[in-house]
Amino acid sequence: MMIILIDHLFISNFNIMKKLFLRLLLYVFCIVLILEVLVRVFHLTKDYPVRFVDELGVERWVPNQEGYSVTGNRRQNFSKFNINSSGYNSYRDFEPSKDKVELALVGDSFIEGFHQPYYNSIGKKIEAKINGVEVYEIGYGGYDFADQLHLIHQYQSFFDLIDLVVIGIKFEDDLTRNEYGILKERMKLESPMYRSLRNIKLLVYLQNIGAFSAAIKMTTTLFSLGQNNTSIHKKEDVNATQKRYVKYIKNFQSLVTKYGYDKTRFVLLLDKENSPKVFLDFLDKNSYNYIDFGEEINQSKIPTTLIYDQHWNNYGRNIVSNLISVYFKERVNNH
Amino acid sequence: MLFNSLEFFIFLPIVFILYWFVFKKHLKTQNILLLIASYVFYGLWDWRFLSLILLSTIVDYFVALKINTLEHQTKRKLWLSVSIIFNLGLLGFFKYYNFFVDSWVDLVSMFGYHMQSNWTLKVILPVGISFYTFQTMSYSFDVYYKKIKPTRDFLSFAAFVSFFPQLVAGPIERASNLLHQITNKRTFNYNQSVSGLKLILWGLFKKVVIADALGPLVDDIFTNYNSYPSSTLILGAVFFSFQIYGDFSGYSDIAIGTAKLFGIELMSNFKFPYFSRNIGEFWRRWHISLSSWFQAYIYVPLGGSRQGKYKTIINVFIVFLISGFWHGANWTFILWGILHAVIFIPLLVLGQNTKYKNTILAEHSKLPSLKEFFSVLSVFSIVTFCWIFFRSESITDAFGFIGRIFTDFSYLSYSHPMGYRMIDYYILILFFVFYEFLIRKDERSPFNFKSKILRFVIYTIIIFCMLLFYDDNIDRSFIYFQF
Repeated sequence: MMIILIDHLFISNFNIMKKLFLRLLLYVFCIVLILEVLVRVFHLTKDYPVRFVDELGVERWVPNQEGYSVTGNRRQNFSKFNINSSGYNSYRDFEPSKDKVELALVGDSFIEGFHQPYYNSIGKKIEAKINGVEVYEIGYGGYDFADQLHLIHQYQSFFDLIDLVVIGIKFEDDLTRNEYGILKERMKLESPMYRSLRNIKLLVYLQNIGAFSAAIKMTTTLFSLGQNNTSIHKKEDVNATQKRYVKYIKNFQSLVTKYGYDKTRFVLLLDKENSPKVFLDFLDKNSYNYIDFGEEINQSKIPTTLIYDQHWNNYGRNIVSNLISVYFKERVNNH
Repeated sequence: MLFNSLEFFIFLPIVFILYWFVFKKHLKTQNILLLIASYVFYGLWDWRFLSLILLSTIVDYFVALKINTLEHQTKRKLWLSVSIIFNLGLLGFFKYYNFFVDSWVDLVSMFGYHMQSNWTLKVILPVGISFYTFQTMSYSFDVYYKKIKPTRDFLSFAAFVSFFPQLVAGPIERASNLLHQITNKRTFNYNQSVSGLKLILWGLFKKVVIADALGPLVDDIFTNYNSYPSSTLILGAVFFSFQIYGDFSGYSDIAIGTAKLFGIELMSNFKFPYFSRNIGEFWRRWHISLSSWFQAYIYVPLGGSRQGKYKTIINVFIVFLISGFWHGANWTFILWGILHAVIFIPLLVLGQNTKYKNTILAEHSKLPSLKEFFSVLSVFSIVTFCWIFFRSESITDAFGFIGRIFTDFSYLSYSHPMGYRMIDYYILILFFVFYEFLIRKDERSPFNFKSKILRFVIYTIIIFCMLLFYDDNIDRSFIYFQF
């Protein structure tokens, strides 16, 4: 009798709980749907342009795409991007010719400029400072020196028409490879699964505000349990640093040898403060020209980067465009 | 483990399912589960300090049993003092030891003797120590005063001491309310669970949206108060009022809501304190579990209001002083307590401290009267002023902050240190105050609207606000954990 009573209680409790779970699920489902609509209506998250690898093995954006880049919570930075017919974010199409004066900026996300309105980019600012010059912004988030030289090599006839090519380089990040190769990890982002997930704007929004970082951290911790992680936390000693610097400089040499480098038309854009002396000496010794943006950017009393993002803000872009314009004018005067 | 962490949202459903499905048939196994879950909950922060909870549990379990067997008052008192000395000893060592050493050194140096503070120790403050030691002590007190009979069921008692929803930041429960719920069979109640889930949602909103969103602004203003004008400093103090309320009452709501999911009712800890019409009412609405603890175990034993006005004033002063000191080993908290005593005592003398004991703001109307409005505003201003001491790192900083408020009369529009639009925060606070006013009649039913559609819309807005204001880069721990 007692057992029957307990079983009866258990079953009735189970039914009540089932009701609770089902209602909860229904509420969650409806709320998620509405949130998806709200994220879309208020355009709270960024649009992802589609990337591809062209027939010459260069990774870039699929030409002629438009969308909005959103950074920070509550749309703090909201800017339109415009992928041109060449597959780069720019206000103009790239049509170099012998009759015109052209300047190309080759670089990573700082040149790509998804964090800025495309019509207020570094290139546009340079054009405003130098009459008659066309500036081609060939930037792509994640490009390193191997990507950049490989691109210039593959599109040599295009770059041969350009009067000055400015190549952005960060010593610590951009010289880890001695040869170009398609980065499969990056291209995985174009897999059907990732593309489908990106269509769920709520998911993209949550990822961008860091809502999944705890889950990722937890997963990483779980997977790394029992593994020896001492190397991750080990601070690099002086010898190891020197060895790494030597390796990076060798990578630089190897890339230059493999893909070519026109010292008369190419100039590096770098931050001297964040480049080791040994690399700067190497550049000086081998007559590689460079423009240093570090001194003015780092010493500026007015902020030069976005608050919620490391990229240059309008003032930072003013400084960089000014430096490039001055270099370009001096070069024209000297020639 | 934090209530607003991913770990908790994995932990809670697991414990819930085990509790109601696997261990439901036997009360004892259910309580063992609660105990293990509570120790896991706490141990994930630092398992070493579990030993303190266990020790405190063992001491008070045996002390209470012993007190119960004795009839002789002196002996009973002696055993009670074992509990008090042990628990206050724990608190004294982990929370106040360095403070006493430093204060001694400062005092000696005031008289011209130079001493080095070599006696200070690198002591980590165990999270929630002030809460669970007070809870276990209250059990021994209640047995001593013969309000309750001690339990012989050690597991249930251990589950009562460590009950995870309220372990680290309260509400500080009494055995008379919580222990019998743990020792008696619980049945799953649909309405209670739904009510719990609603409270968790509302608590999360207060924590994630109100407290966490205002945190960086408060930190910035209080850290750099020297470079801000009066207007910004006032803004910083007001923001802190909302931050600490959102943080602590949010925690309490989540704790009460979580307990409801396990069929347990905890006491209310906050009843819209910023709608108080005098400071007496404020203290009946703010951190109720602590205020009532002090009233029951300090104020009343001291004589309460039974021994004349002068003695009553002294007793009130002592309670506020200890209350300030309970919050932290810093002179800022002590001064905060004294300030509240100074504000409260005139009301006591005039017999106004219980004036609004059984009423609420705008009880029979939709809007408060002009008199009520200004009363609420003045209480809020006074409380906000006192928070400056509570929030400042030192007495010097607190006076520096206040000094600038009264000397640098200038207005400068304040910009968010992370570049966000400030208007969002002003709208948020206005919305929050308005909503709290709407629900002011029942702090345990934040969504008590008849229309299902309206309730659904509010849930959606609340979750949407959480998404809008969530920031992964800020410290998301609860302020009261440090106490």
